Amino acid sequence: MRRRAWLLSAAAAGGALLVGWSVLPPRARLGGRELLPTEEGEVALNGWIKITRDGAVRLAMPRSEMGQGVHTALATLVAEELDIPLERVQPVDAGPDAIYGNVAAFVAALPLHPRDERSGQRTPAARAGRWFVTKLARELGVNLTGGSSSVADAWLPLRLAAATARAQLVGAASLRWRYPKEEIVVRDGLLTHPIGYHAHFGVLAAAAATMPPGEVRLKPREGWTLIGRSTPRLDVPAKSDGSAVFGLDVRPRDPPGALLFAAVRMCPMLGGAPQRVVNEDEVLRRPGVLRLVRLPPAAGSTAGVAVVGVTSWHARQAVDALHIEWQPPPAGTADSGAIEAALEQRAREALARDGGFAFHARGDARSAEAEVLAGGGRLYEATFRAPYLAHAALEPLNCTAQLRDDRLTLWAPTQVPSAARAAAARAAGLPEEAVTLHVTLLGGGFGRRLEVDVIPQAVAVAQETGGRPVQLLWSREEDFSHDFYRPAAVAVMRAALGADGRPVAWRVVSAGDAVLPRWLARTLPALATRMEPPDKSTAEGLYDQAYDVPHQRFAHVATDSGVPVGMWRSVGHSHNAFFMEAFVDELAQAAQQDPVAFRLALLTDDPRHAVVLRLAADKAGWGRPPPPGHALGVALHESFGSIVALVLEVSLGAPPGDGRPRVHRAVCAIDCGTVVNPGIVAQQMEGAVVFGLSAALHGRIDIEGGVVRQKNFGDYRLLQLADTPPVETHIVPSVAPPTGVGEPGVPPVAPALANALFALTGRRWRELPLRW
Amino acid sequence: MDLLINGRPTPLPDDRIDPAMPLLWVLRDVLHLTGTKYGCGIGACGACTVQLAGEAVRSCLLPLAAVQGRDVRTIESLGSPDAPHPLQRAWVLHQVPQCGYCQSGMLMAAAALLAHQPKPSDADIEAAITNLCRCGTYPRVRAAIHTAALSIGAPARPARPAAPLPAPPPPSPPLAPPTPPLSLGVSAPARGVAGARAGSAPRPE
Repeated sequence: MRRRAWLLSAAAAGGALLVGWSVLPPRARLGGRELLPTEEGEVALNGWIKITRDGAVRLAMPRSEMGQGVHTALATLVAEELDIPLERVQPVDAGPDAIYGNVAAFVAALPLHPRDERSGQRTPAARAGRWFVTKLARELGVNLTGGSSSVADAWLPLRLAAATARAQLVGAASLRWRYPKEEIVVRDGLLTHPIGYHAHFGVLAAAAATMPPGEVRLKPREGWTLIGRSTPRLDVPAKSDGSAVFGLDVRPRDPPGALLFAAVRMCPMLGGAPQRVVNEDEVLRRPGVLRLVRLPPAAGSTAGVAVVGVTSWHARQAVDALHIEWQPPPAGTADSGAIEAALEQRAREALARDGGFAFHARGDARSAEAEVLAGGGRLYEATFRAPYLAHAALEPLNCTAQLRDDRLTLWAPTQVPSAARAAAARAAGLPEEAVTLHVTLLGGGFGRRLEVDVIPQAVAVAQETGGRPVQLLWSREEDFSHDFYRPAAVAVMRAALGADGRPVAWRVVSAGDAVLPRWLARTLPALATRMEPPDKSTAEGLYDQAYDVPHQRFAHVATDSGVPVGMWRSVGHSHNAFFMEAFVDELAQAAQQDPVAFRLALLTDDPRHAVVLRLAADKAGWGRPPPPGHALGVALHESFGSIVALVLEVSLGAPPGDGRPRVHRAVCAIDCGTVVNPGIVAQQMEGAVVFGLSAALHGRIDIEGGVVRQKNFGDYRLLQLADTPPVETHIVPSVAPPTGVGEPGVPPVAPALANALFALTGRRWRELPLRW
Repeated sequence: MDLLINGRPTPLPDDRIDPAMPLLWVLRDVLHLTGTKYGCGIGACGACTVQLAGEAVRSCLLPLAAVQGRDVRTIESLGSPDAPHPLQRAWVLHQVPQCGYCQSGMLMAAAALLAHQPKPSDADIEAAITNLCRCGTYPRVRAAIHTAALSIGAPARPARPAAPLPAPPPPSPPLAPPTPPLSLGVSAPARGVAGARAGSAPRPE
């Protein structure tokens, strides 16, 4: 099946849904004042913004702060349009309304190719797909933080909300002072008139609330004072003194001292279940232990039990002391080794018969191969492999819940509040309106908290605590053993190189478990369809890259191996960039060309990519000899709308070192459109290099007999400070709308490392982690 | 059972206390001092780092019996809003935290390092800071420790203070602005291609 055929059939199916679908007015995401609950002295101006008595701004924050700086970035958009100091904009929980839904993340899931929408010229299929998904996402209003989409999604609606509020405040000042609006100045959170009138927002908020905004205009780019500057993050002070509240720091005090703690033990075999608890009575007699609660499988979780105690430690000790007989899953247990071998076989078969789902095809790759061989060229083939990976966010999964008088209150570090609320309501048998959700800070997300498996567990426990709040916390071992892993993947890649070394044809088949359809089914079941769409989420990063090779066929075989898989920072790009960019590097070598020059020659249609690649190469001193014993490696990758090039300088630690790879320097260039906060972009690139190096050097999850072998940081190593190189970030100036930042730095890390190691040793690495 | 937490004798409710209980859970679940985090439970990640008699220790493995009567310091006592610890000021200057979860442990380990080693070298920092950060704040942690060391600026203390207590944070002199302005110096992209280099800390003399 071709991609275009799928798009058309999806559009046809969508057409049926469109009957009776009213067209939303363009400002529908502004939202009414009634959406924003107010405390005494506060005045809501629209669904996003309320003003406090002392003139500060409270912003309904729809996105979760997990380190990526989104609370600061979105507050910056508002502060810019309202001309108020950034630190006077405070994020508060956004409610469940659909205006807070993330539209951009859903649009990005369309399996489009960059050529479908080059420089604003979209093909009809791309236009139709975008229009349809935008409408659908807007109607559904799923509040989700993921896909590096937050700033892109908020870019217009939030600035418009703030500009509308500003227009109302100016209108109120104009009316009160009886001077024309044009003469009112807004600066530093103050409204002033040259004649001497002045007032902060709080003074005029009540009058502004009923003021028609009139014509609302966004500030021109030249007038920006915050966007584009490295303003300090709002969350740094609280994260430097221990006062920041993460999920497991929630301490409800109503009633005082009532909080209980729960620990969880799930069947060690993924998908299995407890059959019998042998020593329940004995364990429940221990001091500080209160209850044992059965946890049925829900939202993709493996079944297990929880123990409630007076502290997390009492609960943990008790749950670990339980003697439980487990039963394996009915479908049998998974083995990662067998799965990875099967993936390779599926990919090879598909390559042989042009099978799999072709996400991108142009020209006639098969015929071109024959022509190349006849013309004195040659074929080059390589197979690449990537393992399962765990998210390993430092804050283990947790959720705090209190069920009282048919009202459920949740405190959860979640990336997907809409789904968390719905899952809680389902588990409690309550309407969603009876569920209040407070989203805490997240101690890392990386995609793990796009799952809601922990939510029904917390509800099940809260149903047994007689109205007392209970905090359910996983151990690190449970967190590693019951992740939704980055799927293992294989790609068989074949290129036909002309006599001059230039690639003429590419045929590539990748294979790996589909992520998106299963995630929808367990997390947003209302959206799951029987029609399983082609899973872009594991194919992205191969078919959608910019190299101009005339004959291409990029296909993907979506599998279901029975292992719970999910979205892991940069999702399909996380492994596909390694496959693609390590392969391109090999092709450069086969063509006896410099890796940067070889790539530039293939980027004739994509000046943005070439600019990013040149910038990183220049800043890294590409072409100059590195220090003795060092070598450079480069990778270039587009993901989440942004283009990142990375150059790593590596050596092998000489004796008395261990001879293992050591990264001395990372030079990163990014084009992510308009930058809201370059300091946060630099932070994300630094973090991405560390995240990517941990995976490339150490990351691997093995499953044997359904049981995950890696249990803690002792056997799932992360990079430490001593291993971390300095990271330089260089940003390409742009006036394009903002694109992703949180994830795009990760994909180029593994290939840049592999390519640098090749330059150093002459050996090629085609499997992650790079075994030494 | 009584503990000495952040300079205060702290009685514990006997009904929830077991001498084998690790300090971490007493701090978090009994005393509600939640700045100290749980990350791994095996002493590997350092999110639970506190100071015991001036030494950085991992509280997830430290039984209550081992800390009775000894001076325990947590992130909650590292500084105050009015008088932040030099490390906390450097943390803000360098914009170190991302998700922030590991940062209490990082700060407590760094504070113990500076108490013993007021002018640490890169190697000292690498040896002392073995805390895990999944967000990858390491380059900024390194830079911020160097900056804090500069701002402390006091004559070098003995490698091991005679008193078991870590010295209280000295009165904070104004933080000398580092030159060039480190990783915060990413200028607006509109002004041209801009670079930020993290991890290039000013070195102590």
